Amino acid sequence: MSASIAAAVTPRPSGLPGRIAWHWRHDPKAELWIIWYAMVFFYILFGIVFVLLTHVIPPPQPYWDPPRVVQWFNDHHYGLLSGFGIIFLVTGLVAACNALIGYSIWRMSVSPAFAYSYIAIYSLSATPGLLLTAIALTVGAMRPERNPDLIYWLYDMAIMCFDGTMGVFLIGTLVWMIAILIDKNNVFPKWFGYLNICNLITEFVVAPAWVFKSGVFSWNGTIAFWIDTVVFAIFTVAFITLLKRVIVRDDFGTGPLPDGDARTAIHPEA
Amino acid sequence: MRRVDGELLLFWLVPFLGITWVCAFLVFPGFVHPMSPTLSADQVAAFYRDPANLPRIRYSMVVFNWFGIGLIPFLSLIVMQIGRMAHPTPILQFCYLGCLTGGPTLFTIADLFWLLAAFRPERPAELTQLFNDIAWVTFIGQVGFLIAQCAFLALAIYLDRQARPVFPRWVAHFNLLVAAALAPASFVGLALSGPLAWDGLLSFWVRNAAIALWIVTMTWVMGRNIYARHGAETVVP
Repeated sequence: MSASIAAAVTPRPSGLPGRIAWHWRHDPKAELWIIWYAMVFFYILFGIVFVLLTHVIPPPQPYWDPPRVVQWFNDHHYGLLSGFGIIFLVTGLVAACNALIGYSIWRMSVSPAFAYSYIAIYSLSATPGLLLTAIALTVGAMRPERNPDLIYWLYDMAIMCFDGTMGVFLIGTLVWMIAILIDKNNVFPKWFGYLNICNLITEFVVAPAWVFKSGVFSWNGTIAFWIDTVVFAIFTVAFITLLKRVIVRDDFGTGPLPDGDARTAIHPEA
Repeated sequence: MRRVDGELLLFWLVPFLGITWVCAFLVFPGFVHPMSPTLSADQVAAFYRDPANLPRIRYSMVVFNWFGIGLIPFLSLIVMQIGRMAHPTPILQFCYLGCLTGGPTLFTIADLFWLLAAFRPERPAELTQLFNDIAWVTFIGQVGFLIAQCAFLALAIYLDRQARPVFPRWVAHFNLLVAAALAPASFVGLALSGPLAWDGLLSFWVRNAAIALWIVTMTWVMGRNIYARHGAETVVP
């Protein structure tokens, strides 16, 4: 309450540092914006680490023999160790992403059970889907002299945990999709609910990667990897953009979200 | 009449847990003088095969398996405190809630690999070394959820703008300091010797001391809060 009154009487200064300080002091949505920026920061860092530093995206070949795999580890030794060091450092930001999506569901007309199950499922997801990969590749890279057969096993464990962890994303996306489609508060547009279906289907499409070691269904194949990754990228950009709109429109009420900027709704004096 | 909500019971689990953790830490032969990552596979296997070490490894890790998870109820009490702060949305509660099983889950994975290494020490030395490496990297390097937990709590305290804030501001500063102390351990894989190695000054001693200091300090702060609240509630019939 004090924040909204202050917002009405304290003019917003110009200049980026001044504006940031103003939002920190007076914007009741500061907590939402901080978490949104944390989410954007996490996804950018995730892309840099997995594509540029560790070369796990696009993935190396599933049909390589142990000596070739050892060579891959040696080629990317410091990239793997420093890249996953960064991932270990910022893993907790996953909780920020989950919390913001959880909050968007909590703001809908559906039962809070949807929000709680989304947060619970996605809190679990980072361990098999991200950290076991990072741990296995770190352990593989830290001792290049290890028996190549053991490095080979770490390689399979890492890439298959990353690509082959499906259920948490399947059920998590399903929960979010149902919530969006039955929501009466217009938190998300319905087309985004249907886009969730595409993301959900990718979790079925990737399953053959557990069987095939080459071809379109293998872990780096056109279907199991490339189509899934493109869908995931579109889906991620869509929800980051839509969550920004949700924050702008949020009036901290319990009814439908206004279509426009809710700032005037919160601070009619401003 | 005093309302029984059970929070005090959850709170008093912490000193009990603290005793089990300290005992198990002292009993595990790889902690008091932390095992060096530069040991060869044969030396690691010899560590597990040593009749003086083996029972201590097993018993300490069984105790950690029982009680390593035990801090979650205490962390849930912190979620309750964040809920009492003056925030317009529950998002910081959701953030904290999303973090609190992360640390214990990863610690359990480390614990399982130590126990597996000790289960059949006659296994080929290179496999024992692999299990030992996975356990140590998972134990030392997985600080991300703990760092985020500290940062989210600090953020929640800074944004708790009311006449009587739930926590004093120094608790936020303290949590940021602990987060900074934990950060270097993330890069445990980069070095087998020196301060970043898993037995090094930053990765082992600073990291673990920061966690111990956090538990002691937050237990004291939370104890004051919970008792103050329960005291206030008993005054009003």
